[in-house]
This record gives sequence, C-alpha cells and structure tokens, in this order.
Amino acid sequence: MSTTKSAELVKHAELEYPTRLTKSLESFAALREGYITDARDRLIEYGLWAKALSEANSHIAVDEEEIRAAADAYEEVANYLASNLSWPLKSISIMTQGSVSTKTLIRSPNGSEKFDIDAVCKIDISHIEADDPMSFFESIGQALKELEAQAKRRCWYIPFTGQRFYLEFTPSIPLNTITAQTLSSMAPRYSASRYEETALAVVDTPTKSWKTSNSAGMSKWVNDTAERRLIRSIVMEAYANDRAVASVAPVPDQTVEITDTLRVAIRLFKRHRDMCARRGVIDAATKPISVIIVTLLTSCYEGLADLGRSFEHPIELLDELATLMPHLVLKLDGKYRVDNPTVEGENFAEKWNDDDGERYKSFMTWTNALSADLQTILALKDPSAISRRVREVFGIPAPTGGGNGLTTIQPPAPRATPASRGLA
Amino acid sequence: MSLDLSFLCEEFPELQLSALHRGGGVTAYQLWLPSFQDGREFKWAELRLPKGFPEYGKAFIQLSPDSVLRIPHLDRAGVLCIEGDPGPGLGYSPEDRIKFVLHGYMEQFLKPWLNGDLDGDFENEALNYWAIEVAKSRSNTDAVRGVWTVDSPPTKARVRSGLLLIPNRVIIAADEKLRITNRLVQSMGPAAKQRVRVLVADIPISHAFTPSTWPRSMSDLERILQGRLPSGEYSRLQHSRSRRGRGIYRVVLLRNTEVAFAYLLPGGPPTVLDVYRGKKASPSLHKPLPLMTSRLDPDWTVGRDQHPEISGRQAKHVLVLGCGALGSPVVDHIAKAGVGRISVVDADTMSSANIGRHLLGADSIGQNKVDAIAQRINSAYPATEVTPYAMSTADWLKKNTLVDVDVVIDLTGEPDVRVQIEQVRLSYPRPLLIGWMEPYVAAAHACMLAAGHKWLKGAQDPLSCLEAVVWPNEVIRQEPGCSSRFQSYTAAAAEHAVALVAECALEMIDNSVAVTFDSTVRSWVRGQRFLDKHWPGLTHKEWAKAACVHDGLILNRQFP
Repeated sequence: MSTTKSAELVKHAELEYPTRLTKSLESFAALREGYITDARDRLIEYGLWAKALSEANSHIAVDEEEIRAAADAYEEVANYLASNLSWPLKSISIMTQGSVSTKTLIRSPNGSEKFDIDAVCKIDISHIEADDPMSFFESIGQALKELEAQAKRRCWYIPFTGQRFYLEFTPSIPLNTITAQTLSSMAPRYSASRYEETALAVVDTPTKSWKTSNSAGMSKWVNDTAERRLIRSIVMEAYANDRAVASVAPVPDQTVEITDTLRVAIRLFKRHRDMCARRGVIDAATKPISVIIVTLLTSCYEGLADLGRSFEHPIELLDELATLMPHLVLKLDGKYRVDNPTVEGENFAEKWNDDDGERYKSFMTWTNALSADLQTILALKDPSAISRRVREVFGIPAPTGGGNGLTTIQPPAPRATPASRGLA
Repeated sequence: MSLDLSFLCEEFPELQLSALHRGGGVTAYQLWLPSFQDGREFKWAELRLPKGFPEYGKAFIQLSPDSVLRIPHLDRAGVLCIEGDPGPGLGYSPEDRIKFVLHGYMEQFLKPWLNGDLDGDFENEALNYWAIEVAKSRSNTDAVRGVWTVDSPPTKARVRSGLLLIPNRVIIAADEKLRITNRLVQSMGPAAKQRVRVLVADIPISHAFTPSTWPRSMSDLERILQGRLPSGEYSRLQHSRSRRGRGIYRVVLLRNTEVAFAYLLPGGPPTVLDVYRGKKASPSLHKPLPLMTSRLDPDWTVGRDQHPEISGRQAKHVLVLGCGALGSPVVDHIAKAGVGRISVVDADTMSSANIGRHLLGADSIGQNKVDAIAQRINSAYPATEVTPYAMSTADWLKKNTLVDVDVVIDLTGEPDVRVQIEQVRLSYPRPLLIGWMEPYVAAAHACMLAAGHKWLKGAQDPLSCLEAVVWPNEVIRQEPGCSSRFQSYTAAAAEHAVALVAECALEMIDNSVAVTFDSTVRSWVRGQRFLDKHWPGLTHKEWAKAACVHDGLILNRQFP
C-alpha cells in the first residue's frame, strides 16, 4: 500500500498512543468488550448517541433554502459585475467557496446573527490586462459600489441588509493563466499539487501583491474525502434495510445524516469551538480557525481511509476523529504546521508560530474541552439524559413545537396609548 | 377575592375556575398546560390576583420555580414579566384586565416559547438574569458582597491584585497603583477601615453569558482559568497564600465593555463578621459564589459610556477661584462631568448666612468652604480629585504658578482678583473664564477668554459694561463676601447662572488645547416680568432687550 501524506499523519498521531474517549467508559463496556454480538443490537446501542448528535447536527446546519437565497444573491452580484465591468462576461465566473461548498456551514450560537457566504469571483486574466493586483482589486470593488461593498484583507464584504447572510467576495485569477515570471515573484514556494488545476491567485491588500489560494481545490478535497466509506458495510445495510428500528431511523428531511461522518464532525466540532469562545474558555480572538479544523479532520479521515481502516458505526468513527485530531498538528523544526493539502507550501497554522503560543494553547484548550465534553455525553445511557447533555454541550435549544392546539384569546378593546415616561 | 371567571370558559378552556388560596391573600387559578417537547416543560402556571384586586395591584402569571433561569422573561419568583394587566384607574373592567393578562401569556409568552422564538432573549438582558443567579446564592455570611471595577477590561487575561474592603465587603478589582482605587477607599471612610489584599483573575469575554453559558461549577471555572490565563499566572492564582500563610480570597472577573460577571472562588479564609458583642467566623465557601459587579470607572460613572470627551477631561487640571454661591455648585458640576483635578481657592469659612444658596449646609458651619467642598466631592465622585486651598487668590499666586493648570475659572466677582490673574496670565497664557451674576440674578455672564486674550481694556475693567440691566444707584450692590447686605435671590434663580457658567467651563476645558478660539461672552438674561417683580422701573441695556418678552434668554456676544 502506498503511504499518502494523510496516512502518514495518522500513523504519526498514533505513535503518541492517544486513548479513545470511550476507552474506560462503563457505558461502552457492552460494545467495547463485545458482550453484544448481534449487529442490529449493536446498532441500537450506538443509536442512543447517534440520535442526539444527529439532532444537534440538524439544528446547526444551515438549510438548503437559506443557501439557495444566498445563491440568488451572488448571482445578482455576478450580474452587477458583468454589467459594471468592461470585461467580457465569459471571463467572469463566480462560485461559492469554504463551508458553503463543503456543506459544512453552521449557524452562530445566537440564531439571530448572520452567517457568511464565501464566494470567489474568478476572472480569466488571459482576457484582460489587469496585471497590477491592487488596480484589479479596486476595479472589482468599484463595480460592486452600489452594493455597499467594503474592502477587507483579500475580499470585498457585501452586507446584504435585511438578509440572514452576508457575502465575502474574493476577486481572483486562475493560477495557470499567469506568466511564469509573475508566478515566481508571487509564490516562490508554489509547486504542483493534487488540485493544481483549481489553484487561484488572489490579491493580498496589506502587501499589495498576489497570493496563491485554492479554495475550490480545498472544497473538492473535502467533498471527495467525505464520499469515502469508513463504516463497515454490514452496518450500512442494517441502516438501509431496517428503518423499523426507531432509534436508528434516520431523521427525515435531513440533508446530511450522521453517516456523513466527516461533515457531521466538522459541523459539531466547529460549533463546539464557537461555544467554547462564548463560554470564555478560549479567547475569541485566538480561537482555532475553521480551515484548520476542516484540514485536520479531513486529513484524519482521509488517512484512516488510505490505511484501510473501518468502523462499525459513525459514533466509533467520531470517537476516533476526536481522539486523533489534536495529534495531527505537526511540529517541525520548532514550528507548528497544518499544511494546506491543495497548495504546496501554505501553512494554515502560520500565525501559531509568532504569538507566544497563544493560538496553540487555545487549540489545545479547545480539543481538551471537546474530548471531556464528548466523554460526558458518551458516559450516559438514558436517551433523554443524552439529549439534554448534547444540547448543553453544543448550545442547542430544546426542540420546538407542541403548541398547536392552544386557544387564541382576543384581547379586549384596543389599549389606550400607554402613558410615556418623563426623563427623571 | 375570587372572581367569577366562568365568562372566560368558552374562550379560554385552559383556565381552571376553582380558586386556590396562596400566601399573602393571593388568589390563584391554575392553567392547563399543553404537552411539551423535552426541555420546554414547566410544572405549573397560575393566573394570580393579589390581595385587594381589582382595586389594588395587578393580576399576573406565575410559573413554577423549575422554570426560573431556564425560561426567559421570568423574575426570581417565576412571575412572568411581559405586558399584561394595565392596572386599576385606567377604565378597564377587572374581566378585561384578566383577559389582557391571559392574552399576553398565550400570545407573547407560551406560543413563542414553544416555537423557540424566545430562545435568544436571555442574551438581551443578561445582567437581569445574572442578578437572579446572584440573589439565589447570596447569604448573610458571604465574605464578599460585590465587585467594583475601575478600569477597562484587559485585552488579555491576567491575574492582578485587588482590595477587599471590610466591613463593607466590597472588592475593588485593582490595587493602589491606580489613583482611583485610593479615592474610592477614602470615600468609603469607616466602611473600608480594613483592606485585605485579594487576587483577581481578570478575563475578557466576547459575549454576555446566559444561564446556559455562564460557569456553573468549579470545574467550569477551572476550565476557563486554565484555558485563558498564562500558565505562570494560573499557578500564582492556585498557590497564593497571605503573609500569614493562609489562603487568600480569589475572584474571577469575566467582562467586556458591556457586561461583567464575577465569582468568589472557594478556599479563602473564613469570613469574620461583627455580630452582637463580638465576632463570628463562618467557614469559607465550598463552591464558587456568583457576584454582582459595578463599574466605577469615569467613562461609566460620569457619562455612561456616551461621552468620549471624558478621557480628555480626566487629564485636565482646572483652577477655580472663589467657592461661594456660584463657585461651589460650579465645582460640583465640573467634578460630576469628570474633570480629573480641580484646585479650589477661597479663604472664606461657611456661615449660617450662606446656607440658603451654597452647596454646603449647616453641617459645615465654621469650616473652611474649600475644605468642606473637597471632602464632599472627593468622597462622592471618584473620577475627580479636589485640592483645597483655604487662602486668598493673592496668597495662592505667591506660592503657585499656572504651569500645570489647563484652565482658570474666576468666580470670585472681585476686581482685585481679575487684576492679579491678568498679571499672571502674561507669564502663563491660559484660557480664562470669568463668571458673575447681576443683582437678583437678573442676569449672569460667562466671559470665555482664549489663552492670549486680555481682560482689562487698558486700565479699565470691562465687567460693568458687559452687564445686561441698567441698575439705579438705589439698588445697593455689594460684592459677595464684602460686608453687611447681600442682594436677595433664591438658589433656584442662581441655578440658571450655575448651569450657564458650568456649561461654558466644560466647553473651555474640552477645547483648551485649541488656543485660538474666539473670546466670547455668554449671558443669561431674565425678562421684564422678572425685573418688575424685583425693583420698579428696571430696564435692559440695548444689547439685552431681546430678553424683555421672555422669562429668560441666553445671548452670545463677541468679547469686545
């Protein structure tokens, strides 16, 4: 078997002998020690936790309808651009990036806050002459002026007043269309990688220069990896064939079930990180950034798949991912490394190396809290106790509904205008 | 009383008609509850009518204790705090008032709660819910009753020392390195006769806590302390001992610019309280004690965070000459406005004749006015430090210069003082405000002179020329502080002058850096009706005639 980089990362992590969260939990004894042998019975047992985690996952996932509304909005942006720029329409293409394109977008803990839709606007530079990065960036901003776009580090922020989301719009050019000279000046470390064809150059406004980026490659990597099966087929069949078992029946209307374990893990772990920041356990300014969580989990999942590992249930896999994740951060030559697998030479943990260890400490504090909290969930066996604990840990409100039969009482006459208060 | 509520039966079948009697003469009617989703339940809800209803009190809804801090919009007793009974006296029948209550309960509370529409509401009024949590845990033997902060939240979590003040049992989350700490300690007097050093973990937070996110146990707090504090600071907090080798009080302060939450950690020394004939010691806590916090920093106490100019005022030193009926309340106002240092010069002592219109009262008779003013302001407003000089302006000028003074305010009314200040401003050009009142406070003037502008016109003092009313000789004009007779006026009439001068003073203090402002005179002038009431035949000077038809008018002029 050829060893991939992800497989090596997993093997490296395993050298530190991390212990599974469920290793010494009494609640898991029957599964762990094999007292339950029947596949279906084992499934029912795992289902205790899967059901509650699945409910949490559906609560935090942003539903398709909201994303479609956003899709309409960025198409609107594309039209704006096309009509306001002098470049031909065929040279402009717009696509989502980040958590929207990997289906791992989550809600903020306070439901009223906006979520962000990342979009990247790709301009084929062979059709245009904008070789100067800043004038290229500014011309996009100029074209978006009517949408109240504000310049940020590498993108234009569009607030979309009245909508549940905002848009971050990154102007870019395909990397493979620019001259070798420009390429070598902008990214000396760049070399071919697995997702070379989607690599882009974006404008880094503080340094007024081009920087490489490969958000499409990143999304493709996550989506490709998520398709790989790590759950043994016997369990999958039991899922598919035995819907009568209520406790393991998939929740209807759910776009991604917990069998989609990589995405579920990404969503739940990101949410847990957000809750840790809300609880003051980690500093919001140094909390682990999403792309690091996504990269570590996807590398871990990919590595396990490359090594031919299999798991009998998504819960077991989640346990493994949470256990291994902190050990996938490399420290080479005294520097922390979380490499972007789609752009050679980009280290997502770059900032960890010059902040007196604050971000690394935040990361470790968070992963420790995550493990401890997951253990408190997995240590329970009563279904309603599990649900309550899952809701506490991930900051999920109680399920809604149940008030349908309530009467509607009419208020008496319209109320008199209440007396207003004077300033005292 | 119990009402016949059967008229509601059809419209509102949830209401149980049999009245139940609760403590304090309250009548209660049970409400049927719907089936709840897991986590949305509460044990009971009642419509309650207080004793004396409908003539007195308002009907309300009360929920079972298990719902408090789990469900928003409930007070500590479980009473629903939403719009309901409009109360007696507004023309509603008792039946209509009850319908309002039930309508509010159903439409603004129960249905939205079941739908999840109230889930974010804890965060909107976080500190109200925190107050419930604090009240639930409070006892008479608590070592600490509250935490006062005196500065902005830090950008990074840290451990600092603070002071526990006994017998007040308040912790100031800063040590004496900050001047304001000393001022607060002094202002508390006997309530702070003992000071005990404490450790404060001062940790910035990004969001207000809610009942579901605030720390509920020592292990929750431990997680925050370990996660946020640099490791050296963390172990200092864990292992600190007092000089006598005992444990010391430790507080965790979690805050941002909007909200603050505090806990006293277990493991401090026992609480010793003065009780009848002696002292009583209570053992230290076994779990963290939630505490309320108060902000005593000038941005809050002076301007409730609405006035960015306060940080500038805090750095200013203002010299006020004269501490009489005009000077004393003006000093009080500029102290309230957050001026950092005020030096007050006045040789006078408080006498019984002053009481009617001075800031001070009978309790200060015989004291130097400036000493009593300083004592009063220094203990009331921690943002300001008043230094008293019980001497004449001439004496003060012999011993001091204007080198560190930003603005001079002359409220003596004395021609000699104006000449002395004119002299010293030749060497130290400073903005100068001269403020005075005309007889009966028929007018008052604030003359604002820029740093380089002179007051005297040659040898001529322009004060009388600037006045608003033509005063006949019969109106005896005595400068305050001189001799026998004073013009009669009320403190209320003088308050207009005080407000005029204090506003002008603050304008000058805020702009004192800009030395080139135009010198102006701002005047408060009462109308003809006011003049006629005090002396027959009084008339306004030409420039002030605009005020005639009004009760009073503020006019601005260029300083000639």
